Amino acid sequence: MTTQTNNTPSDDVIIIQNLNKWYGNFHVLKDINLTVRKGEKIVVCGPSGSGKSTMIRCINRLEEFQQGSLVVDGIEMIEDVKNIEAIRRDVGMVFQHFNLFPHLSILENLCLGPIWVQKKPKAEAEAIAMKYLERVKIPEQASKFPGQLSGGQQQRVAIARSLCMNPNIMLFDEPTSALDPEMIKEVLDVMIELAEEGMTMICVTHEMGFAKKVADRVIFMDAGEIVEENTPHEFFDNPQVDRTQKFLQQILNH
Amino acid sequence: MQTFNPLPDKPAPAQTVGITGWLKNNLFSSPLNSLATIVVAAILIKVLPAMIDWLFISANWSGATQDDCTKDGACWVFVSAWSQQFFYGSYPDEEIWRVNLCLAMLVAIITASLRVKKELREKVFIPLFLLLPFISIAILDGSYLGLVQVDTDYWGGFSLNVLLAAASIIVAFPLGFLWALGRRSHMPLARTISIGFIEFFRGVPVLALFFMGSVMLPLFFPEGTNVDKLLRVWIVLVFFMSGYMAEVYRGGFNAIPAGQYEAADSLGLSYWQKTLLIILPQVIKISMPNILATFVMLFKNTTFLLIIGIFEMLSTTQTALSNSHWLGGHAEEGYLFVALVFWVCCFSMSMMASAIERKLNTDHKN
Repeated sequence: MTTQTNNTPSDDVIIIQNLNKWYGNFHVLKDINLTVRKGEKIVVCGPSGSGKSTMIRCINRLEEFQQGSLVVDGIEMIEDVKNIEAIRRDVGMVFQHFNLFPHLSILENLCLGPIWVQKKPKAEAEAIAMKYLERVKIPEQASKFPGQLSGGQQQRVAIARSLCMNPNIMLFDEPTSALDPEMIKEVLDVMIELAEEGMTMICVTHEMGFAKKVADRVIFMDAGEIVEENTPHEFFDNPQVDRTQKFLQQILNH
Repeated sequence: MQTFNPLPDKPAPAQTVGITGWLKNNLFSSPLNSLATIVVAAILIKVLPAMIDWLFISANWSGATQDDCTKDGACWVFVSAWSQQFFYGSYPDEEIWRVNLCLAMLVAIITASLRVKKELREKVFIPLFLLLPFISIAILDGSYLGLVQVDTDYWGGFSLNVLLAAASIIVAFPLGFLWALGRRSHMPLARTISIGFIEFFRGVPVLALFFMGSVMLPLFFPEGTNVDKLLRVWIVLVFFMSGYMAEVYRGGFNAIPAGQYEAADSLGLSYWQKTLLIILPQVIKISMPNILATFVMLFKNTTFLLIIGIFEMLSTTQTALSNSHWLGGHAEEGYLFVALVFWVCCFSMSMMASAIERKLNTDHKN
């Protein structure tokens, strides 16, 4: 397990050390240690309630934690609005339920960050938005509203919305779990393309095909702990912990 | 390989659509419903002819004084003779255009903002709408604009009901949102003050608030200052309304999924950007039916002002009824007319509410 690396600090874009989190008295994250290097793709899996979503939501401070330290792109996560906002500008996030803003058109959804957070002029923001809409292959939907799009299209818009902020790190929180089977592939294709371009990615997902294809490391979590961490090849073919074996049997053999 | 051909659509059974279908579904859907339909129809047949006769056939339509009411039916002459007072109170004849101008601006801004593009609406019409109460006061009073000053004692009639209700809701609209934000705040002081304010103005009857405004409020002002009675009433209405609006907004806030906040946060938007760009528009949209309902309530509540001597429409009607030239007992006509005017306005507002809802309903799913 990589608790401490010997790489230069600039190489490690996320450093989580002894992170502990409680909901009231319920201990949801227990001594999490994780270091992510620039350009690395990490897939996090585990049963529901294992803390995997909670862990990645700590990275952009959608969840607070009580103990431990977290450094993102050299910025330490502390109780300071400036630091939190700086980290959030650097980290994009894609949610299970897309969370597009229903009252804004697709183009307005995409322009919101560049205009209000990065203070870019409207024309420039729209050009960026169109660039990323083309990358996720739906530029023709720009003037529609989120409710008029299919789930797969909405999720691609959500990815484009994050990319418009030009993030260094992308977090994916079960991006395909709310999609109809027919739409999963179009979203995964976009994610694979993104991975191939060298984006640093942490994906909470149960798409094992995706994990085998793009992940540098697969992390298995249960009961708030990182149980096992390995390359996809070793993880799937030669799991080291019995809990991992049982989980893999359950999700692969049905 | 077999080809899949969808079946063609067939027409629905005749019994379930058209007039027969409607009658069956709405008037005779069950034995109890059929019985109710028959009873109501019987009552209508008994009552309607006499009512129509009094209202229209034997009614007196033309004339200028009570003596012109010679027939048995309603004396509509009473209403037409007093119509100017009913609508404008004692506002001077030659200055009535100012009242009309304010009413026209109110209607024009609302209708225009429903039709123009979103950008124009947000940048021009909404700010104009928020400034309207102050512009209207300047026009009606006149002294700030170099016009003849018309003291608030002369303002009255139905136009006062409309303008006072509109001016109250326009200010209460943003104020209520601030109270609602305060109530959700993590800062104990802001939360306590907001809850105290909201619960006070929701818990005290509006009549009691009006009395406080007209009797008690002056005690708190420094001695010698004379704050206009209408202004005090306006303040009371704004506070009262903003308490209710805060609760309406609260329902809207609760209906917004946590994911909207998280998405805004993950983009790095600040608290106020998130609140104003993402949350507020959705809260208003969700709350629109309740906002309009609350407004209708406030609008009708303005008739309570007759108790503290503001010459709104109902108290103007009472004044007319006690006029020595019209002592023939025209209460039915007078109150019926007031009811009709209010009903027409409230009904139009609910029509407008559904138009706004359709307009705002841009997301079909989610």
